[in-house]
Amino acid sequence: MAHAVLVVSDIAFSDLLSDPYPIYKRLRDMAPAVYVEAARLALVTRFDDIMTIERDCETFASSNPGSLVNKVMGHTMMRKDGEAHAMERRAIEVSFRPGTIKNHWAARFEAISDRLISQIESDGEADLFDALAAPMASLALIELLGLKDVSWQTLARWSQALMDGAGNYSGDPEISARATEAAAGVDAAIDAVLAWHRENPNPAVLSSMVNAEHPMNLEQIRANIKVIIGGGLNEPRDSILSLTLGLLSNPLQRAEVMANPDLWPLAFEEAVRWISPIGMYPRRVTRDVELSGVKLRAGDQIGLCVAAANRDDRRFANPDNFDVFRPKQPHLAFGAGPHFCAGAWVARQLVGRIVVPMLFSRLKNLRLRPDAPARIHGWVFRGPVSLPVAWDL
Amino acid sequence: MPTITFITAEGKQHAVTAEIGRSVMEIALEKNIPGVVAECNGSAACATCHCYFDPAFAAAIGPIGEHESDMLDFTASPRRPESRLSCQVRVADALDGMTVHIPAVQ
Repeated sequence: MAHAVLVVSDIAFSDLLSDPYPIYKRLRDMAPAVYVEAARLALVTRFDDIMTIERDCETFASSNPGSLVNKVMGHTMMRKDGEAHAMERRAIEVSFRPGTIKNHWAARFEAISDRLISQIESDGEADLFDALAAPMASLALIELLGLKDVSWQTLARWSQALMDGAGNYSGDPEISARATEAAAGVDAAIDAVLAWHRENPNPAVLSSMVNAEHPMNLEQIRANIKVIIGGGLNEPRDSILSLTLGLLSNPLQRAEVMANPDLWPLAFEEAVRWISPIGMYPRRVTRDVELSGVKLRAGDQIGLCVAAANRDDRRFANPDNFDVFRPKQPHLAFGAGPHFCAGAWVARQLVGRIVVPMLFSRLKNLRLRPDAPARIHGWVFRGPVSLPVAWDL
Repeated sequence: MPTITFITAEGKQHAVTAEIGRSVMEIALEKNIPGVVAECNGSAACATCHCYFDPAFAAAIGPIGEHESDMLDFTASPRRPESRLSCQVRVADALDGMTVHIPAVQ
């Protein structure tokens, strides 16, 4: 017999932000879906359940009439389903193809990474969040989108403001105002380059959007560029830091990866399993349905905790450990189903093949600073917010 | 309905009847054939439904798309001439009797 969704009211929002993983374990062991009052969502935390949900996007829709993302960014493909989603996704796909990345983007990303590492090389210590990860992710995204005359700090500020706006469930007017200002800034930056991209087809996302077989209209372009800015900056930034932290904390694994560069891709996949940059994303239940014995009702809002699924001990042994050599099997850090991360191959190349390998090979005896430990924060988006390191000069 | 035989990396055979018009990936998932992961559920974005298709059926399957070919360069198991993404191959009468080898890792 199916059960109703259990409700948990003793979890503080601040506990989720500081370390969601003990909470995820409790929820995983409790039931397939548990309503957490602090999150105002029924959270799904087991690997197999999330896979089941992502294979049935008619029952578990991405579109959502009350979506704050849509209010802040316009109607983005992230909140569309079926053919409407597929058409827009196909339009940008060419910019994100593995071949385009290898032949076009890799050299540009290498140049940025080289420049940023050269800037700090003689310092002997740095916080890698500000010194490398944040500018790297932002500058790479500016190139990838095809924006011009936008500083990395400005793009990073827009990204944060848009994401804060999309998560502004309490309706804080200051957060709304910042999101509106960021949205206007993005629209102006698009206007400044769109005609150029139309006349000069190139691999950038804006060019793909206007020159696709089914080109996007201006409203679609504005909304989708915003969702890529909101969702495409944190993840490479945070995974650069998580991969670095994982290897610096595990000297034996680091030595093996340094000795055998073919292991870098495995190390990257393990880093995003271990600390998944996007920890949770929502879906809307469109009909009464049973999920592994739990009754969900039409209209329920559920949160797919891929960060929890990636530490599901039904699937991963010793899931809390960073272990490059664990048996290879899929994780959910890029999601699953039609909304599978469009930037997955960019991230693999940028983080796992370019930036972090370059960092370890250029900065000798790179090490954590015992006097200044790394800090990790967040649950919907999670990653190191500070990673102080030192190296030999 | 045509019959397709999946052969796992360990050599275990699974002969299944396949509904026309579905993708070979969907058939593999529906019949619980181990080794086809299909993270992106058919969007040709993840390269985790990579399989080796019987070369005798290459013409019947049809040509590889540009995007699919790009993805095949990034599969976890080596790309071979008979490599395809099973999400991009549609079941048809002409594929009756085809064998599909599943690689060791996705």
